Amino acid sequence: MDTLLRVQRFEPTVDRAPKTQEYSVPFRDGMTVLDAILYVKDYVDHSLAVRFSCRQASCGSCGMKINGVPRLACYTQVADVGGREVTVSPMDNFPIVRDLVTDLTGFFEKHKEVIPHVVRRDSAEMESPTSDYLMKPEDLERILQFTYCIKCGLCTSSCPTVATDSLYPGPQALAQAYRYTMDVRDEGGAERFKVLDSAHGVFRCHYAGSCSAVCPKGVDPALGIQLLKRHVMSAKPPRGPGEGARTSKP
Amino acid sequence: MDGRETASNKRGVMGWLNPRHYNLERWAYVFQRVTGVGILMYVLGHIGDTSFFVGGPFGSGPDPGTWALDLSFTENLVGHLILATTVVIVVFHGLNGLRLIMAEYGIIFQKPSKIEYPYQAKGLRGLQKHMIWAAIVLAIVAGLWAGGILFG
Repeated sequence: MDTLLRVQRFEPTVDRAPKTQEYSVPFRDGMTVLDAILYVKDYVDHSLAVRFSCRQASCGSCGMKINGVPRLACYTQVADVGGREVTVSPMDNFPIVRDLVTDLTGFFEKHKEVIPHVVRRDSAEMESPTSDYLMKPEDLERILQFTYCIKCGLCTSSCPTVATDSLYPGPQALAQAYRYTMDVRDEGGAERFKVLDSAHGVFRCHYAGSCSAVCPKGVDPALGIQLLKRHVMSAKPPRGPGEGARTSKP
Repeated sequence: MDGRETASNKRGVMGWLNPRHYNLERWAYVFQRVTGVGILMYVLGHIGDTSFFVGGPFGSGPDPGTWALDLSFTENLVGHLILATTVVIVVFHGLNGLRLIMAEYGIIFQKPSKIEYPYQAKGLRGLQKHMIWAAIVLAIVAGLWAGGILFG
């Protein structure tokens, strides 16, 4: 049995509009959509552009729309999406570089905007540490799932707010904002709140939840964003200098 | 992109309005937006309509004749269907709006915790999902009730 693979082709410097090209790929059990695309690239049409790396849902490179839903091509088996016909196109809401390859530059800029790292005020301690920054297991559990983000962009591709608001950080960045704001070791809440509590901040999310539905790693950005809203509305001043986690001897 | 040309692939308003292939919450999001616009149109029409009764839309004084004429437009099959549909969308919009307010206060979610494969997002489960179904069912019941009065 062959699988009919429909691929959206588009070279912005040449084509005026995207077009769909069809390829026939020999089906085999366990074949992923990425396998099918790479078969085409290897044996049928070398000009097909696709980005991939790890082939095991760890790097987040091969995000694309598969039969209308943002998914990782390496993590989606052809048999699970119908088997006979598969349609692939680049992720929505990202500029198209060529064919299935999208430009993630703006996405990573949004990620950086929310200061995605633990911020500390005790610079002397950071320069010459005398102990570890410890956290309790229950505190880790509160943020653990949000640390699994691989920045594939599927959540941002599915987000209806991102579709119209270019200044909105998007579900990926906001989930990371939650992850670091809730980290008991962090003292960067005040800086982060400037982005979150703005006209294009966390309250532009209207809880469509598709970010969580498409996330391949179980990050659940929709949950993080709603909890972040509560945190912003709670009127508690963000943690400031000296109010983060205590350090203790290892 | 270092000088390389790219093409925008933003979905725009179509990104709001196309819930196909997505989760129930995404459908509720679309209906919330559409019903919100519908309610706004109804309220604007209603204000214009009643202004004929109280003082006229241009301050020309009460005009019971125009008011009665306006009412007569609703006293037929299409008018009754529009009113019954209005009841449906108002009830859905209100109840789903309560769900969204509760979500924004984070009071209908369980705490984040360790996740196991296959992943099931907590943000898309539990009470909030029941609330969507409750909003749908109650909106239909209210619409049937309103239809019973209008057509009865």
